[in-house]
Amino acid sequence: MPCDRPCSGKPGSRCYVSEMAIQVENLAKVFGRKRWATFRPGSGRPDIRAVDDLSFSVRRGEIFGLLGPNGAGKTTTLRILTTLVRPTAGTARVLGYDVVRHAVDVRTRIVVVIQEQAAELLLSVRDNLLTFARFHGLAGPDVRRRADHVLEILGLTPDAGRKPQDLSGGFRRRVQLAKVFMVDTPVIFLDEFSTGMDPILKRSVMELLRKEVANGRTIVLTTQVLTEAEELCDDILIIDHGKQVARGDLNTLKLLTEQVYEVALTFDRAPDNVDALVAGYHVVRRQIAQNTLLIALQESESRVLELVSTLAAQRRLLRLEINGASLEDIFIALTRKETAS
Amino acid sequence: MNALTAIIAREGKIRATNLTFIFWDLFYPLGYLLVFGVGINASLGFATDPGVSYSAFFLAGVLSMASFGIASNTSWSFFLDRDNGIFYEMLTYPMSRPQYLLGKVLFNIGVATVQSAITITLAALLLGVPLRASGWPLLTAAVTIGTAGWFFFYALFALRIRRNDAFNTVTSIFYFIFLFASSMFYPLDPLPPALRVAAYANPITWQVDVIRYATIGMGDATQIALEAVAFLLFTAASFFAAIDALRNQE
Repeated sequence: MPCDRPCSGKPGSRCYVSEMAIQVENLAKVFGRKRWATFRPGSGRPDIRAVDDLSFSVRRGEIFGLLGPNGAGKTTTLRILTTLVRPTAGTARVLGYDVVRHAVDVRTRIVVVIQEQAAELLLSVRDNLLTFARFHGLAGPDVRRRADHVLEILGLTPDAGRKPQDLSGGFRRRVQLAKVFMVDTPVIFLDEFSTGMDPILKRSVMELLRKEVANGRTIVLTTQVLTEAEELCDDILIIDHGKQVARGDLNTLKLLTEQVYEVALTFDRAPDNVDALVAGYHVVRRQIAQNTLLIALQESESRVLELVSTLAAQRRLLRLEINGASLEDIFIALTRKETAS
Repeated sequence: MNALTAIIAREGKIRATNLTFIFWDLFYPLGYLLVFGVGINASLGFATDPGVSYSAFFLAGVLSMASFGIASNTSWSFFLDRDNGIFYEMLTYPMSRPQYLLGKVLFNIGVATVQSAITITLAALLLGVPLRASGWPLLTAAVTIGTAGWFFFYALFALRIRRNDAFNTVTSIFYFIFLFASSMFYPLDPLPPALRVAAYANPITWQVDVIRYATIGMGDATQIALEAVAFLLFTAASFFAAIDALRNQE
């Protein structure tokens, strides 16, 4: 909503105040076939409905996770929010600015790490950061100092003078992510940000991202690494086929998938006939690593205990652990249900 | 304003990383004039009008070829940026789509202007091509609008075509058609009628004729004015089509 209060923008610029960082209403995106494909054999293929009547909002100052299986519409949703793609129907606003009508106002307030690697291969790592900052109107000694600091915290200082074309994929990803810390835009979009990162760097980046949120920035991220979402996100939206499947914080999502348990059993020797033993149960996920059997199943408590007793009778049980569902189990259970329906 | 200066600074930094880029941008047309122009002049004794050497005649062609070449090379950079992923990231930077194209074209106009100044100066010093100061404002306008027009025209194809090899095929065809069916290398009057009609319908001819009029005063003023207007329309149409292509990048 436009307001008449003075704002920090340029004189005469539109000023919008929004409680929400992101507001999405009945958003849809249909990718049509190429016009020339109409004249080709097999052209009866339908258009692709990547986002289908999606509505959600994101509060300021939180980390919002957009999850879903491949092709669920996560990246398309993010590309609409970052003004890269225009929606077919519905509206999307970032800090109150419509992504279609006020695209430049939106771009001024966001920083985006796209899913693909993106770097100026012919410029040095430091110039990559300085060039990016210039687009946000930042130049001069302060920005150079900030670039040095960002290079330092992301372990890029030794490579500051090298060109990304001479760096590995993981380092290029760091350069891409470093831009997030070069500006103070209120909203950050991260599309699979941890791809190609080693675990130590990933942990320190997650820590840095939490600090940014503590400073009032809002983060919208997509990820396939569910432990990452479990650890970072205050609020999660699971989508599939462009539609909402579930929404809420981790505890709320756990309530949606009641009776999903994760059982870990360590034996002196793994049983041979696991498949036969679990055949009558609704197994969400099963994994055998050495002597440990990890099963996530959607059953009543008594059925879970029954299975544990059956398995324990097979070999000497060294260790038993029963937990509630992890985000991964919830995700699988919910998206399976959605696919089945 | 931030966006335009940022784009110009970016393009400048990228060009400064590579000596080949600098040579190509600044001295390539001069080399063409020195090798091809002098060769034709010496071996065929070609003269279009009494007292006009082939080098003087060909200067306008070389300057137009430079605009054309810069536009082609810069539009190819869309592919490079797309391969690096930076193209899509840049589309999320705080700027409008027209600003993005304008920033790129302003940088190219700067390069084309410096290139033209070097070429004209050295053509005068080394080949004795006469300089006509009264034509300089028109020459500057023709180089500026010419570079912009060809950049927008090429950008239109670079943004619509997704495959590098397909784009290279298109540019090769364009080079052949636009450069040879034009007044760039030879006067049009002796040509067969069909080829002459094709040449007069070619925007390169319009640009070459304006530049030739500005540099050595050759041509009819009314016809030159018509050709200038036609090229302006060509530039405007290419600009709007390129903006549309950029807005539809999904």
